Amino acid sequence: MNRLLLFFSLLIGKAALSQSVTLTLTHEVNHQAMRANKTYYTAQGDTFTITKFKYYLSNFSFTDELGQVLTLSPEYFLVSEDSIASKKIVLTGLPLGRFKAISFMIGVDSIMNCTGAQSGALDPVYGMFWTWNSGYIMAKLEGTSPASRLPGHALQFHIGGYRGAHQSQRIVQLPVPFEVSAEKTAAINLVADAGTWFNGPNPIRFSETAGFMTPGMIGDRIADNYSHMFSIKMK
Amino acid sequence: MNLKTTFVIMAFCLFLLGISFRGRGPGPGVTYVTLSLPDSLPKPAYDFSKNPLTKEGIALGRYLFYDPKLSRDSSVSCGFCHQQVAAFGHFDHALAHGVYGRLGKRSVPTLFNLIWQKDFMWDGGVNHLDVQPMSPIIAENEMDMPLNELVERLKCNEKYQQLFKAAYGTEEVTSQRMFKALVQFMATMISFDSRYDSVKRGAPGVAFTAEEAGGYTTFRQKCAGCHKEPFFTDFSARNNGLPYSPNMNDMGRMRITNNTGDYMKFKVPSLRNVLVSAPYMHDGRFFDIFQVFAMYDHGQEKGNTVDPLVRDMKLSPKEQRQLYMFLNTLTDKHFLKNEAYSEVMIED
Repeated sequence: MNRLLLFFSLLIGKAALSQSVTLTLTHEVNHQAMRANKTYYTAQGDTFTITKFKYYLSNFSFTDELGQVLTLSPEYFLVSEDSIASKKIVLTGLPLGRFKAISFMIGVDSIMNCTGAQSGALDPVYGMFWTWNSGYIMAKLEGTSPASRLPGHALQFHIGGYRGAHQSQRIVQLPVPFEVSAEKTAAINLVADAGTWFNGPNPIRFSETAGFMTPGMIGDRIADNYSHMFSIKMK
Repeated sequence: MNLKTTFVIMAFCLFLLGISFRGRGPGPGVTYVTLSLPDSLPKPAYDFSKNPLTKEGIALGRYLFYDPKLSRDSSVSCGFCHQQVAAFGHFDHALAHGVYGRLGKRSVPTLFNLIWQKDFMWDGGVNHLDVQPMSPIIAENEMDMPLNELVERLKCNEKYQQLFKAAYGTEEVTSQRMFKALVQFMATMISFDSRYDSVKRGAPGVAFTAEEAGGYTTFRQKCAGCHKEPFFTDFSARNNGLPYSPNMNDMGRMRITNNTGDYMKFKVPSLRNVLVSAPYMHDGRFFDIFQVFAMYDHGQEKGNTVDPLVRDMKLSPKEQRQLYMFLNTLTDKHFLKNEAYSEVMIED
């Protein structure tokens, strides 16, 4: 009996000691703060504004100083420019110690894309789910550009697709030293730069492509672009 | 350490587990329901462990199914298009139609034996029964109802507060609870009680007539490759040679896969209850089953995605007549009249 009690107190004790890390997200465009109605430029010279910017983050893992990878239990977060609360992510279940890198997925993994009706951040009421060709929209950017030939000069990029040739989930890995201790919560400041969506390896011209809302080649290219959107801001 | 203390600790752990799952599964005091299915059938594709059937869940789903409040102007319910007399297809309508008289682009598929189906819609674009109802609810030319507004609408409704509480233990309305309840009702729509089924299980005094038996032989030779028994579909998407219709511009599964190899491929529909669920094909172009036979006999389009199983098929007038007699044995009158599926009165 005593041994069993000891075992349980160890379990509980371990849970109490295991600490959290807080990720704070800041949205930028070409290294300037993201603001509604502000005009930005692509590297190709198109001007544009952003009215909607949201994306899923999931499948977090951490690399410790010895190079061992620690994967957290699955959790899904919907980050949205218009929600301050969504830009603070608290991850729990990390052991004490020093870490050197963080890794996560932009989007929702294929398993969760075919497991039926979900709740929480994955609730389809948030408008991040395709109903005609089931699957989550991994990331969404809407706005306007004078170069767009869509009605109202709209920009509408809904990037999704989780199977076959058109998989738009992207894994990001960022080196960042931090320590999980019993005394204070570790904090990591992440910057997501929306300018990367249209620059980078696959330049987008709004006169040709002002929107994309199916799984497909253009979505894959934009996902490749925005896989470089995150960086760490040191304080 | 003795057995008793171990038991107490285990019970405590289960209690903690119970707390963490609160609000997800069925509520307390529900009556669990087991579907009675013929033993010969394979295991359903739908995972009931994540949505256990309860009397209260099915009742909520049935109420939702027949409630026009699920559409923007409260004019169109699920049951509006999916009518029991037509095996939950749309009697006499070629194309689905929705709010404000808007017309859809495809015919209404029948609803039964859905728990064995792995993907849905004419093009197989929907990958799970849970998320299937989202499509017609959101579609502009069907119910045109944004999900977040629908959840708000149900939250403010007293009848739904009672129904959700009975099914899930709390009044909380979420899209997940709504979809799972709709599935609970649709899961009970099981049709395996036709004359064909009686003959197959050797019910006393039931046998095919000579014409029906002749039709069954033709069926097995020329149709069963795609319309596989016992479901009378193999659940795949195929091009049956139906000519492309320029005004509809619907290329079927190619829309989902972007693959030209899927040009004009549509889900193979079940032939169960086929004679009560006209019109036929993805665009409802045929109102009579003999038009369908004629298409296979001499009206097919050539093309490299046309399925080899139906290419150059011939159906003589005698074969057509006998096939008709056989298909008639697939009508499940008990299913079409079962009061458990019938329309419920929506009280407000």
